[in-house]
Amino acid sequence: MPSYLKPVPTPAATAGKGGPTAKTRKRPPISTMIVGIGASAGGLEAFKSFFAHMPVDGELAFVLVQHLAPDHNSLLAELVGRGTTMPVLEATHGMRVEPRHVYVIPPNATLTISDGVLQVCKPAPPREHRWPINTFFTSLAEDQGDYAVCVVLAGTGSDGAQGLRAVKDHGGLALAQSGFDHEAMNGMPANAVATGLVDAVMPVSDMPARLLAYQKQMHAAQLKKGSDGVRGDVAAHLKIICELLHAEVGHDFSQYKEKTMMRRIQRRMLVVQAETVTDYIEHLREHPNEHELLFREFLIGVTEFFRDPVAFEALRTIAIPSLLADKTSDDVLRVWVPGCATGEEAYSIAILLRETMGSQRGLKVKIFATDIDNQAIDRARAGRYRAPLNGISPERQERWFSKDRDDYCVVKQIREMCIFSPHSVIKDPPFSRMDLVSCRNLLIYLNNDLQERLVQSFHYALRPGGFLLLGTSERLARNARLFTELDKKQRLYLRRDDARTRPRNFPNMQRHPVEHAAHATLQQVENLIDQRARQALEPWSPAYVVINASHDVLRFGGDTGRYLAPSSGAASLNLFQLLDKPLRGAVRAAALQAFASGTRVVREGLTLLLDGHERSLRLIVEPLAEGDGKVEMCVIAFNELELALRSAESSTDGKPDSELTRVHALEDELRGTRMQLHAAIELHETAGEELKSANEEYQSVNEELQSANEELETSTEEMQSINEELQTVNAELNSKNEALNRLNNDIRNLLDSTQIATIFLDRELYIRSYTPMMTDLFHLRDGDRGRPITEISPRINYPELKSDVAQVLRDMAVTERTLRGIDEAPTFLLRMRPYLTFDNVVDGVVLTFVDITESQQLNSEHARLAAIVNSSRDAIFGFSLDERISSWNAGAERIFGMTAEQVVGQPLNMLLPPEPSEETRKFFVSHERPTRLAEFDMTWVRPDGASVPLAISYSPVCDHDGTMFAGKLIARDVTERVRAERHTEMMLAELNHRVKNTLATVQAIAQQTITNAPDLPNFAESFLSRLLALSHTHNLLAQDAWLGAPLIGIVNNELAPYRQDSDTRVDDARVRLQGDETHLPPKQALALSMAFHELATNAGKYGSLSIPEGQVTVTWTTRMKGQRPWLLLQWTESGGPTVEPPTRRGFGSRLIDEGVPYELDGEVTLAFPPGGVTCTIDVPLDEVVL
Amino acid sequence: MTTDSHPPCILLAEDEMMLAMMLEDRLSASGYSVLKAARLTRCLELAESAPIDLAILDINLAGEPSFPAALVLRRRGIPFVFSSGYGGEDIPEMWRNETVLQKPYDTRQLTAALTALRAA
Repeated sequence: MPSYLKPVPTPAATAGKGGPTAKTRKRPPISTMIVGIGASAGGLEAFKSFFAHMPVDGELAFVLVQHLAPDHNSLLAELVGRGTTMPVLEATHGMRVEPRHVYVIPPNATLTISDGVLQVCKPAPPREHRWPINTFFTSLAEDQGDYAVCVVLAGTGSDGAQGLRAVKDHGGLALAQSGFDHEAMNGMPANAVATGLVDAVMPVSDMPARLLAYQKQMHAAQLKKGSDGVRGDVAAHLKIICELLHAEVGHDFSQYKEKTMMRRIQRRMLVVQAETVTDYIEHLREHPNEHELLFREFLIGVTEFFRDPVAFEALRTIAIPSLLADKTSDDVLRVWVPGCATGEEAYSIAILLRETMGSQRGLKVKIFATDIDNQAIDRARAGRYRAPLNGISPERQERWFSKDRDDYCVVKQIREMCIFSPHSVIKDPPFSRMDLVSCRNLLIYLNNDLQERLVQSFHYALRPGGFLLLGTSERLARNARLFTELDKKQRLYLRRDDARTRPRNFPNMQRHPVEHAAHATLQQVENLIDQRARQALEPWSPAYVVINASHDVLRFGGDTGRYLAPSSGAASLNLFQLLDKPLRGAVRAAALQAFASGTRVVREGLTLLLDGHERSLRLIVEPLAEGDGKVEMCVIAFNELELALRSAESSTDGKPDSELTRVHALEDELRGTRMQLHAAIELHETAGEELKSANEEYQSVNEELQSANEELETSTEEMQSINEELQTVNAELNSKNEALNRLNNDIRNLLDSTQIATIFLDRELYIRSYTPMMTDLFHLRDGDRGRPITEISPRINYPELKSDVAQVLRDMAVTERTLRGIDEAPTFLLRMRPYLTFDNVVDGVVLTFVDITESQQLNSEHARLAAIVNSSRDAIFGFSLDERISSWNAGAERIFGMTAEQVVGQPLNMLLPPEPSEETRKFFVSHERPTRLAEFDMTWVRPDGASVPLAISYSPVCDHDGTMFAGKLIARDVTERVRAERHTEMMLAELNHRVKNTLATVQAIAQQTITNAPDLPNFAESFLSRLLALSHTHNLLAQDAWLGAPLIGIVNNELAPYRQDSDTRVDDARVRLQGDETHLPPKQALALSMAFHELATNAGKYGSLSIPEGQVTVTWTTRMKGQRPWLLLQWTESGGPTVEPPTRRGFGSRLIDEGVPYELDGEVTLAFPPGGVTCTIDVPLDEVVL
Repeated sequence: MTTDSHPPCILLAEDEMMLAMMLEDRLSASGYSVLKAARLTRCLELAESAPIDLAILDINLAGEPSFPAALVLRRRGIPFVFSSGYGGEDIPEMWRNETVLQKPYDTRQLTAALTALRAA
């Protein structure tokens, strides 16, 4: 919406003098309409013309305001007064404005009006603050409201425009003077029109009629209005109008403020000149266009972002892609938004562009947003809008606006796209080479001519292929040939290149025609004077004709009739066909001579008979030479010399006659002289009059020029100060630039020197920059900046690049990824973080690739070693150079009985055991440790008191140049080893003991055998068999690890040789064994085996086994006696030879009945009945447990 | 050898029957009256109350050490020697100075030891 339709605070309102807007307006009951007329240089003529056409019958009063020199008395009132019958008064303070009166501003004064009374304030303010027309118009508007009328007539400068805004703001009427071409005159009228608020631009002469009609209409409307200025009859019909509008336009206004709507309807009623509301509704029904107009009227003042979203959609889908497609990164996309008002439209387009193009290749966008309203431009520049932001979605608000207290500020990125400047699309030359012109809802406020001109302007402004966007209700009309329609509904047009608009069509280019016009006016005036002079002189000048070379008559002058006598026949303009015959010869001769010579020819003395009198005639032929001296035309004049001839005659006739003639001549001369005098006087008076007027004007012009001059001087000073400021700013910028350069150098050097591959991408994956190391990962070349990374073939396997970037942009978080190289390729750690701009906006991503191949290998090696250390049964721990324990594995926890938490960080000497060896003490206390592997043993006492023998091995940990930086210890639990050693010792001692005991036994057997043997062969037999028996039992015991031996085995060992059946487990004919399965401990086994040996040997030699029929039966049982198991064994011989008791007690008997009970602590009964030897053995099977 | 009318009585604490029989024969042949004990219980009885002049104590009596008997003998002032198949390392500190006959020992060693005992 163009800003000039919005209220503009006027100087008077802001000054608040008397607060005319605040106080209740007391309109005089009379319906006098006060017309303020502002004019300046050239205004006098306009005033005169205005009042020449102003009848005196209207209810109008006029106040003329002109720029006047402060120190000159003005003749304005007097000069205007001559052209009207109305009283013309110079305004004085307190003068009430009456109808049919004209008031003129006095010099050096400020004229305002309050309650219909003129206020004159002297002196006028200094020139730079002097805007007499604005001041008066503003006070008029505030005083008279919609009854105020302002007329801007000829003048230079822009005074009046601002006052006119005030008038329009209060609903008054504004007119501006047009030149002969029906366009506003240059200067004040043009500036007034440029506000867009002028109701009509018309010649001065048409203004009075328009004013009278308006006054009448207002008067009629006034009668119907209520006390609040709203016509009562409108409210009653508001609903109908809303329904009509809803049906036709599709918008429902029933929720709008009633008064606002009613005022607007009233305005429309005035426009369509409807007397009553019903008339207007009738008009609405008959004129479909009126709906749209009323609709637009309603929308005035409504402005928002993305107004008409469909239009923006059309821009987004049709125009912008096409524009972006043509652009490279070096191009600038240029958009012009004329009538941008407070900038919403411009920012909307900026946002749309930014959204549509993303961050495309750094394409620059310049949106020239212009308006004639400086204040609106200032607001637009601030880019600050009060919440809520209509038309802005929450997403957009979040992304493109930053909240500042109650306001939302456009973000820098968008703000920088827009350039706001005060500019009049009507008055100023258009911009050029635009890609897009968006001028929406501006044209509808303009008349067709201006619309046409503006559309041509836009055509000129657009580059070939540029787009034009108009408001939905705007159309090209007569300029349809200039554009191709792309979206009929949304008024999106494409510039046609085959049509041409010439710059002379533009307003400011029309200076020449206007100048021509002035010139023409001058000529016209001159011609008028000539004409009148010629008329005056006609009776006195000779008749003449103008002929060309072929003697055709071109002009007749004066009373040529008396010399012409047209010939009969075909009509002809040939002089010689027309001329009286007697004259023909002389004239022809003279004419021929004149054409030939090119000089004047005069023929005296021709006579001509006229009315019966003979007239003397002088013929003058004057050639009219062209610029090149060639004669194309001649003037032929017929000069009658009647009087001269007569006087000549009379002088020859006589004196009286001659005196009379003389008197006549003198009288004639006197009469002529008088007339001349009279004419001269009149001429003088007129000249004087004109001089006064001219003087008045010159003064006015002078005034303005001086004012202009002073303004220029002020401007110059301002320019100088601005220049100064600019230089300061420039210097600052230079220093900043240097700083930036330096920073840039630093960054470039950093990037070049870093060994980390880094690449910067924008949001669309286009490459911004990268470090040299990047070339190892991608096939990058210098020209690849600005290309999408996806087009560059990678040397690494990384298909997830795109999705990773998207994720980082979405989550705003750093992402890490390990890129494993295939085969021998290195492995990289990729770290991707968002690229933040200075104001914290994410505008891409930064990727860094760190080669972690070595690190990975080290890691896996480390993991392997750690696994070994952790799984080791040995305690492995380290200490640092400051003698503190730095690591502690699980083995250490187990062996030392202390957890890592208890130990790590503690001094190493806490591991010094309670009773250390010298070597151990030296190691832990003196710190003088060997530089190589060292081993020592120590006994550690765990916190729970348990002792652990440890084998410690120590080795220093050195870096590559041999400097030790830590120590490492391995402690092995050697408890098992020590126990095994002790066991072995014990086993050896036991073995020794047994061997010695056995040998002692053998020694005893040998001794006993020797004692009882009669001879050596007997000794050998007895001794060897006893050793064998002992050996057999040893074998049996060894089979069971000396834990014991089966009783049956021991018995069988001795009886086997006597068995018939070799199977020892079944009873045999000779040997019968019967007993439970009994195991004998070693001691019992050895003792009993010796006893059985002796029994069996005796039986074989002398007893039952000495003959084949004899038998031996061995039975045994075990039983509990007391707490101990006892063995009861019975040896019974039978079937043998009759037994005779032995005569002497041999070794065998002594062993059985003395040795066995002695050793086994039991009882043995050996008997020799005649049927067979019996032996009863009753012994305990174990030792007494005390 | 004493010149007393009574033959000297010797306590033989030995659990090996063959060894005990051989030693009994030898000691008897040498003029000693011999009291045998294969178990500590019996050995203690004899050491406490028998009219013995000398003693040979096998350190290991059917699994039991014979030191309690040695203590009794010492109290009674009866000289004795230990005999053992072991190396002698296991002998408690208080018995370290006693004579130990390492099995097997021959008559000469036995006689020397008994002579030394009787001389003391």
